[in-house]
Amino acid sequence: MNYQYIEQLLERYWECQTTIEEEQILRSFFSQPDIPMHLMQYADLFAYEAKEKEESLGEEFDQRILAMIEEKKVVKAKEVKLSTRFAPFFKAAAVVAIALTIGNVAERTLQNNSANDATGSTTVADTYARRGEITAKIRVIDQNKSEAIAKADSVNNQAAGTNQSLVNEEIAETPAE
Amino acid sequence: MKVISFKNDILPLKDKLFRLALRITRNREEAEDIVQDTLMKIWSQRDNWSKIQNIETFSMTICRNRALDIQQKHERMVVSLDEETHDRPDNATPADEQMIQAQKFGAISKAISQLPEKQRTIIQLRDIEGKPYQEIADIIGISLQDVKVNLFRARQKLKSTIGAEQN
Repeated sequence: MNYQYIEQLLERYWECQTTIEEEQILRSFFSQPDIPMHLMQYADLFAYEAKEKEESLGEEFDQRILAMIEEKKVVKAKEVKLSTRFAPFFKAAAVVAIALTIGNVAERTLQNNSANDATGSTTVADTYARRGEITAKIRVIDQNKSEAIAKADSVNNQAAGTNQSLVNEEIAETPAE
Repeated sequence: MKVISFKNDILPLKDKLFRLALRITRNREEAEDIVQDTLMKIWSQRDNWSKIQNIETFSMTICRNRALDIQQKHERMVVSLDEETHDRPDNATPADEQMIQAQKFGAISKAISQLPEKQRTIIQLRDIEGKPYQEIADIIGISLQDVKVNLFRARQKLKSTIGAEQN
């Protein structure tokens, strides 16, 4: 079997020119049982590195950490206890305040509307009444106007009569030439 | 954007975080504590999860920083003990677990554990977790070029260790 490729990879590995994938190929190669004698000396290095990757912490460690975090969570909840506890009351108070405000506004709007309606009917009645009054006044004015015209006519007639008698008197007084 | 769940997205990262912490501290108990601290810190920042581009990179960064803090504290303690007792160990003492592994994998395990932290972490992230260079750069907070340089040095060291063993 030709191990030239592995030898080349190994040379490049020492020079830090291999990629992660190529280093993985080296690790896989050295993890197998059939390694040629001349490469055997490097097997320990890769075997050691593979073994070191198995170092781990047990399940107990996870439980301990999670318990510590839970403890911290509880402590944090206590820190914000007051505001957190009263939050629902503040919410309820806010809802009530909004409801009251809306109710108040609605009530006022309704009252204003009915008041406007009442004022409106009075105005119409007033208008009708005033129209009657105005018509009556117009009639009176018409009547006065007719009387005034009649008086004016009679005054004119009288004045015409007076003028005629004055002319006649002048004619009578004028001496004959 | 996807909503991040602690139980489904963050908690399953625990093993990767544990292996990273273990690579840095070389002590199982400490590594476990570091993972716990990391997860608690991530949990405390849950209001900002939606702003995080890659939650895994973010978690790994927190974990590494935490592990480095612990390391530094230990180093300071070792120094103060040295001053008091003048009883300095020959080397940074690896934990029992490391000793067992060292027996099985001999030179390889020892060579990796003796690498500088950055190189060790990069070997962990690249050769064990199979992460792309860019992600490693993001986790450690260095440039892509620095990742490659450190990985090159680490692999060369391992290669020479294997060569020395063979001879």
